[in-house]
Amino acid sequence: MSKVTTSCMKYTDDAPEGVSEAAQSALAPLDVRWSEHPELGGWPGCLVETVRFAEACAALRDSAGFDMLVDHTAVDYPDRKPERFTVLALLMNMTTQERLMVRCRVADGASVPTLCDLWKSADWAERETFDMFGIPFEGHPDLTRIYMPQDFDGWPLRRDFPMQGHNRFRD
Amino acid sequence: MSEVTQTQITDMVEASGSSECSILLSTVKSLANWSRKHSVWPLPLGLSCCGIEFMATAANRYDMARFGMEVARFSPRQADLLLVAGTLTYKMAQVMTRLYDQMAEPKWVISMGACASSGGMYRSYPVVQGIDEFIPVDFYISGCPPRPDSVLNVLMKLQDKIDRDRSYELTLASPDAPSPLRVDEIAVLPGKRHGPPVALATDGERYVKQGPQKIMARGVKPQEGR
Repeated sequence: MSKVTTSCMKYTDDAPEGVSEAAQSALAPLDVRWSEHPELGGWPGCLVETVRFAEACAALRDSAGFDMLVDHTAVDYPDRKPERFTVLALLMNMTTQERLMVRCRVADGASVPTLCDLWKSADWAERETFDMFGIPFEGHPDLTRIYMPQDFDGWPLRRDFPMQGHNRFRD
Repeated sequence: MSEVTQTQITDMVEASGSSECSILLSTVKSLANWSRKHSVWPLPLGLSCCGIEFMATAANRYDMARFGMEVARFSPRQADLLLVAGTLTYKMAQVMTRLYDQMAEPKWVISMGACASSGGMYRSYPVVQGIDEFIPVDFYISGCPPRPDSVLNVLMKLQDKIDRDRSYELTLASPDAPSPLRVDEIAVLPGKRHGPPVALATDGERYVKQGPQKIMARGVKPQEGR
């Protein structure tokens, strides 16, 4: 099985089927691009500018009823230049059962606006993403490692992290 | 035994300085070993499935109480045996070393199962590849997890080891003697384990000494007030 190191997702300007009018109009001023194919699990997805990531999520929550943050994580594509990471938020409208994946791309060392002001549950999710990928979240109240020891060196879920042999007491 | 008073033991120990009284000293050691080996109170550090198997060992079918070990103590101050059962992560290692440091001498350590002994199948960044990276181990139990039979076997071997133990010295400490425990450095405790320090500094102590600079080494400033 070959290792996926670049994203194969294609984006267009037209929203795919199944995205509600409310969601489209909420995201209209933000210049989002929509993925051509349904993503994993059949969720429609969209790509927003990194600096407007929280803004897009706020618009979806307040104007389109996406009131639940299902998941908030990141993907690493080490060969994609210059923005190797994709940070994504999986949103759900609890009334209509509509789901949407909001993505943004971020380079190594650049930060992403936090979603903590919108959903409390984003707190630990962003700490986990920081812990595993080293992506800082701007405006996060307490951005420290959550799983690994505080003095751990390295970001374990990056693709270039060694599969084994990383041992801080033997190096 | 009730006739052997504390004063008599003290006299025997004091007299053991001269060679003709070594028989008395040997008797006292036998007495101490006998009482120790039949009252080993384990501190079960159940970290994963080996912890469940330890519970089976302690329950009535296998009945660890037959060896005087039924009193599982969850306070290191009252425990004699640290039984590390399961997968140890580096984050948990600081808890384990602290527990070990807090246990009073004499103390013994059993590494139960493949994970505690060698990391097991987890050859990965968060998992300690054997608890002997941090603390000395008396016995390793193989198995994933070990059957209660194996645990009982090793507990009996531990009793034999305690019974054979002649390494410690019976001396009377003067009340004016300085305490062997020091806060700012690793203490070398007199007693059963002479030689190198018994444990590394705990992770928390290293963290306090090094400060938080290393944590945010990748261009992220530490938060204020942390």
